[in-house]
Amino acid sequence: MASDESAAGGGVIHDIGYRSYDGPRVGRRGIAAALCWQSLRAAFGFGRGAKAKIVPVIAFVIMCTPAVVNAIALALGRSHTPVVKYDTYVNTLRVLVTLLFVAVQAPELVARDLRSRVLPLYFARPIRRHDYPAAKYAAFVLACLAMIDIPVLLLYVGTIFQVHGGGQIWTQTKAMIPGLLIGLMWSLVLAAIGLALASVSGRRAFSTGAVVIFLFLTWTLALVLTRIVQAPVRPVAGLRAHAAVPASAHLFGLISPYTVMDGVRQWLGGTNPGIVANPGKYGIAYGVMLLVFLGVSLGALFARYASVSAS
Amino acid sequence: MSGLLNPVVLRITLRATLGRKRALVFTLVPLVLILITVALKLVAKSPVWPAEFLGAFGFSVVLPLTALIIGTSVLGAEIDDGSIIHLLATPVSRLSVVLSKFVAAVALTVAFGAIPEYLAAVIAKGFGAPLSTGLLAGALVACVGYNALFVMLSLLTARAIAVGLLYLLVWEGLLGNLIGGVRILSVGQYSVSVANAIASTSALNAHLTIQTALIMAALVTVVTLAVATRRLSSFSIKGDAV
Amino acid sequence: MTSGIELRGVTRWYGNVVALNDVSMTVGPGITGLLGPNGAGKTTLLNLMAGFLEPSRGELTVGGRPSWRNPEIFTMLGLVPERDSVYAFLTGYDFVRSTARLHRLPDPDGAARRAIGILDMADAQDRRIATYSKGMRQRIKVAAALVHDPQLLLLDEPFNGMDPRQRLQMMDLLEDMAGQGRTILFSSHILEEVERMSGTIQVVVGGRLAASGDFRAIRRLMTSRPHVFLVRSSSDRALGAALIGRPAVTGVELTPRGLQVRTSDFGTFSRELAGLCRAAGIRLREVLPSDESLESVFSYLVAS
Repeated sequence: MASDESAAGGGVIHDIGYRSYDGPRVGRRGIAAALCWQSLRAAFGFGRGAKAKIVPVIAFVIMCTPAVVNAIALALGRSHTPVVKYDTYVNTLRVLVTLLFVAVQAPELVARDLRSRVLPLYFARPIRRHDYPAAKYAAFVLACLAMIDIPVLLLYVGTIFQVHGGGQIWTQTKAMIPGLLIGLMWSLVLAAIGLALASVSGRRAFSTGAVVIFLFLTWTLALVLTRIVQAPVRPVAGLRAHAAVPASAHLFGLISPYTVMDGVRQWLGGTNPGIVANPGKYGIAYGVMLLVFLGVSLGALFARYASVSAS
Repeated sequence: MSGLLNPVVLRITLRATLGRKRALVFTLVPLVLILITVALKLVAKSPVWPAEFLGAFGFSVVLPLTALIIGTSVLGAEIDDGSIIHLLATPVSRLSVVLSKFVAAVALTVAFGAIPEYLAAVIAKGFGAPLSTGLLAGALVACVGYNALFVMLSLLTARAIAVGLLYLLVWEGLLGNLIGGVRILSVGQYSVSVANAIASTSALNAHLTIQTALIMAALVTVVTLAVATRRLSSFSIKGDAV
Repeated sequence: MTSGIELRGVTRWYGNVVALNDVSMTVGPGITGLLGPNGAGKTTLLNLMAGFLEPSRGELTVGGRPSWRNPEIFTMLGLVPERDSVYAFLTGYDFVRSTARLHRLPDPDGAARRAIGILDMADAQDRRIATYSKGMRQRIKVAAALVHDPQLLLLDEPFNGMDPRQRLQMMDLLEDMAGQGRTILFSSHILEEVERMSGTIQVVVGGRLAASGDFRAIRRLMTSRPHVFLVRSSSDRALGAALIGRPAVTGVELTPRGLQVRTSDFGTFSRELAGLCRAAGIRLREVLPSDESLESVFSYLVAS
């Protein structure tokens, strides 16, 4: 195929119909919203194939199970008040399942972009540097919120079917609202910590490992140490000594985000028994620690994306 | 010289896992374990704390997690970035590759999980104490069983650590405490039962006899490694550009 | 025992997607180029040959034995994979020597040094592979594939990331080895690379084997498309007038570079051209095939 002969010294660009786009363009907000929506979908494995949905689906099903069981128990007349409380739900189950969810899904949001090095592509668009982590954070908060609060709502729905009278329904609603807010607190904190730790590495396995090590170890450590410190010095058979909870027990509760959140819940007036004992006068320390966890994680997350190299 | 273990594979695996800053992370957790043990020894008044702390935290949490991270990465990291093909493009038998990787994983988990656990127990209770011996025995069972399982997982799925975490938290953690039958298929139970048979403490939530535990652990190890070898023999490479 | 690669009716599918469709070929000593666009099935074919994939249908033997689930073939087969991944934390020398030890060579150090020397990587051999450039990584991969002196060598896109000088050196190396009687098969989608190498090509398009043999010979077999020649003579216009009268010529065009002649029958045209010029008193200066490059072979194959 002979090449085209061009006139001496010149070149011709043929108009083959290329047109530039002059229509409306989605601005910063649109880009951030799209990023948020896509990340939200990724958090549940949508758009990634069947295997990506396994963990989110299993986690969600397990989270909803107490709500379903509770509804059935009420329907069968086994109890007249909901066994599962709105604000504490089922403590250990919720801790473990959210831990699993955050550890496995947070890397899906951030590690993949790091691994395939597409960040320069994102930042070559008209968004500011902090829009990216902000969108990711918002998406993951929504995802965790769905994981935690939808079961609470299910619990509510299952319960109000069984109770009679508007007064009862109102009582249930009043009890549910703090539960939803606790869910929001959990989402805000866990999403921040999860994303901050996950953005450390481009390999999903390492990111998951980092999140697991931090969340799981601190939680178990807090529980075990608290239990040890509270154990009676001389074990008295059959007698549960209700000794005053020593200060160290409260302080051990500060090392894990889960125990901190539970402490804050009780400090703010929650009365149902939770993971830790009521912090009492240490409540403010729990409150401060919560803000520290949130602040440090978000700071680290945003700082991570403040400087991105092209390779 | 074609034994079942390939020293070259062992060496490369150990270097790959311990390379760069990762080794520091592996020493962090056992260090925390030992430091807290020392602190507790000095401060704690109740006598049950060693079993509580080393059992509930060290044994049931630190050890499985260490095995998870190490076990899924000895083979998984190479599969993930494709460098496994250099190993597979040699006449080394697939069984040899799997076994060598497995042994490397066990050695690393013993070094970073079982030995610190034992040291902590020794600090807490002394050398001859049943708790120390029990925890060591159980920890060794855990190292073997968990790593066999996780090495197999890394050949079955690209998300081995997620599935492994699912197994640890949901199967062993949640279900194991609720449904009795699950305990027969739980590596955690095997190790805890072995430890408990020697240490006899209620802080370890053991439900199997030592015979059952050892037999099942051996069975699980052999079956998972066989599956892993089979999978590796039919391993196919996906190129970047098709 | 043959030392070549034989495929008979090899088909490979993934669910509904057929990656390779009824491919039969024999790869013997010398250099064979596996040519085809991306997605044609070249990597699938190489993976099948290396025993990393099982043929869904058909037979594939390497050196007389099937390669599937048979790691022993690697005693005589060397593979240079396409992906950039190598053990980055090892030094170049360490990597090659470890490969030598995995091959159970009696003198791994000597073999490693030899292989590294052939690939001219001796200066960099004590640096970690993580510090290598892309071309260096390719070369260290080839060194590792050569360390056990294999009879067969499979290379998947070996010239990726190499600069022209490195490419020429690699080509020379491959030609040397082919000259020693080895069987070398390399895949590429870049036509210039395959064009330069002597030997046969196997063209794979859309999972099918579209053509085998010498590329010029293949080109000549396609008489359905006209050949194009560029002729320079003492009088282009007169020659053009004379040529258009011949049945073998389908078109002439006067261009500043010469007379461009399209012919549907290369054989007849080349026989007649000299006689025609002498009869018309025109002096021929130059006759060049202006499209006998692999490019045209390729696009014709792809287009058809």
